[in-house]
Amino acid sequence: MNPELQRNLWLEASPFRLILIAGLLLLAFAATSVAPLGFATTSRTALALYWFFAVLWGTRSAGLSVVGEIRERTWDGQKLSSIGPWEMVWGKLFGATAANWFGALLCLPFILIPAVGAMGLGPALRYGLILLTLGVFAQAVALLSSLVLIRRNTGNWRLDTFLCQVAGIGAAFSYYSLWSSVSAFERSGTSSLEWWGHSFNLGSFHLVSLLLFLAWALVGCWRAMRTELRFANGPYVWLAYLLYSAVYSAGFESWIGQRWSLPQTLDPAVAKLAYAGATLLAAAYGMAFLEPKDPVRLRWLGEQVRGGRAYQAFLAMDCWMLSYVATLLVGFLLAALWMSGGGSLMVLAVLGFMTRDIAIFVLMQGQAGGKGDFAALGLLGALYLLVPTMLSGLNLRGLEFLVLPTGLFSVIAAWSEGAICAYLALKRIAR
Amino acid sequence: MIEIRDLVFEYPGHRALAGIRLEIVRRSITALVGPNGAGKTTLLRCMAALETPYAGSVTIDGLDTRSAPRAIHARLGYLPDFFGLYDALPVRRCLHYAARAHGIAPGAAAGAAEAAAAKVGLSDRLNQSAGALSRGLRQRLAIAQTIVHQPKVLLLDEPAAGLDPQARRDLSNLLLSLRDSGMTLVVSSHILAELEDYSDRMVIVDHGRIAGGQSIALKTGARLRLRLAVPREDLKDFLAGQGAEILECAPDHALVKIAADPPARARLLAALVGAGFAVADFTEDARALEDVYFAQTGGGA
Repeated sequence: MNPELQRNLWLEASPFRLILIAGLLLLAFAATSVAPLGFATTSRTALALYWFFAVLWGTRSAGLSVVGEIRERTWDGQKLSSIGPWEMVWGKLFGATAANWFGALLCLPFILIPAVGAMGLGPALRYGLILLTLGVFAQAVALLSSLVLIRRNTGNWRLDTFLCQVAGIGAAFSYYSLWSSVSAFERSGTSSLEWWGHSFNLGSFHLVSLLLFLAWALVGCWRAMRTELRFANGPYVWLAYLLYSAVYSAGFESWIGQRWSLPQTLDPAVAKLAYAGATLLAAAYGMAFLEPKDPVRLRWLGEQVRGGRAYQAFLAMDCWMLSYVATLLVGFLLAALWMSGGGSLMVLAVLGFMTRDIAIFVLMQGQAGGKGDFAALGLLGALYLLVPTMLSGLNLRGLEFLVLPTGLFSVIAAWSEGAICAYLALKRIAR
Repeated sequence: MIEIRDLVFEYPGHRALAGIRLEIVRRSITALVGPNGAGKTTLLRCMAALETPYAGSVTIDGLDTRSAPRAIHARLGYLPDFFGLYDALPVRRCLHYAARAHGIAPGAAAGAAEAAAAKVGLSDRLNQSAGALSRGLRQRLAIAQTIVHQPKVLLLDEPAAGLDPQARRDLSNLLLSLRDSGMTLVVSSHILAELEDYSDRMVIVDHGRIAGGQSIALKTGARLRLRLAVPREDLKDFLAGQGAEILECAPDHALVKIAADPPARARLLAALVGAGFAVADFTEDARALEDVYFAQTGGGA
């Protein structure tokens, strides 16, 4: 047996704990079956408890499987072990959550047996699969978050665990709400969706999407674990993910346009590129916030480039750098294609502001260490929300180009601000 | 066994290691000493391939920590200064997990766990949970976990911190036995007096550099302090006649340096007693390492 799984089972799935969970669940189900309290029928109670075990508590267990090792000072020992990254990931993912899955799986029959009666065997089984995948997905996102967060070395395990839980629960809720919306679409007569010009059954498309994102979350865990275990990762997996998410989001262009009756003024190819660019932009901001931007490492990368070892520097690039470069490339292409209606100016301004914002993230981490990202987030919040509100209040809307992508002046302003912030960030790194 | 070349390591705004060069030979115990913040822990973590150096290289058993960190992990054991244990697990399971995690086959893990427990004297505690062990026993369990796979190199960061005198002596004996079994050990410590009991060489790290530029051989000779109950003017001449190097001498006491082996000491004592000197005190001078340390770091009273 995988030693990490075995150790987790020893710690998390003690007979006492399992008997306690089983006893409490049976009591809860017995109580709701003999005396249902309004909304709290047995199946609804089981569904709520499934969410509690698999998502609410499960994300905490998954997050703690790494953050807890740091807290207990056992992580160095694990990093020095011979356990491989994939073994470590699934040993933690299913071992640390063993008690959660024991409880969740006990709930499942109480959810699915009534569902078979209500919707038939096939849809009920698909529902069961959605619930199982959702639980694993939420826990995988929590584990991935913990592996990203420990690189930031905050030293605050409670906050880290909470953030992992929030990420996992957020991922689960996002997908559950999407899945729930399928029935709303079906009620309104829409049972299919168009993606890249092909029609797909809405429910099946959603299930496949969930499985694919679960697969990416697991790949993310594996990659982050490789980093922790001192394997060299290289940029290709992240580039593949960027390509996947850009293609995935671009595929919805025609369907979203039809559903929400968006004006068809844009060339479909340009619109698709805009969807892809927006996805890459989100990835660049997300990773710039999440990943550490260690000035020493950035200086080392700079020295590799200056020393003519550009390929070595490329292999060592962080995800936020790759996302930034990919967004720039797609953005410039989009600006070139979207000349009509001022679209290209807006895109160029967005790219300039992105450069400024990412430089702010680097600069702030250099100034304030681990708390720098939150400081940068606060500063960006002020730049994008407070400053425009103030300018509007002072009847100075003509100056909004300084902080918002509005036209030609905003392109000049954005790139000037980007250049200044990048200069300051580089100066900070070189110190 | 361990070769360090121009090692540089930086934290943001602080250069922790500034060009360390060092060679550590196989089957030896090297003491790593220096003031707090000197860079000892960073140096150990670079050796353990847990940190990537900014520049320079660390080679262990012919493998570079940058290009083959996992192969190095398989060859070494590392005990950090603040280590953790799985408190809820019994000692047997802690060691069984450590053995399996270090790649020992399932069938051999139980035997490896018991052998490691026996080496550190925990055979009678196998069923006790780790959380119930005393500080000294926890330290032994942590060491047992790091040696369960019989690594070639063992790196210990402040292993004696918080141990009582008996536990420290046990630790010294354990380290010597590990060296004799073929391991190469690097031990960081603040307690200079005890390092002298088991170290072959000393490396003084100060401000991210090796003070004096190289490691210092210990035990090439022992410094002995002797005191006479009845002073005698001929003490200096007598000691010189015995081949001892006289560092300090007065009619009632002397500080001499002789060969490190016990028979040499026994011979000198027997000669003194045989010549009618009233020897009241004949002990190894515990200040030897301290003198070397302060001479290199420029500190001391």
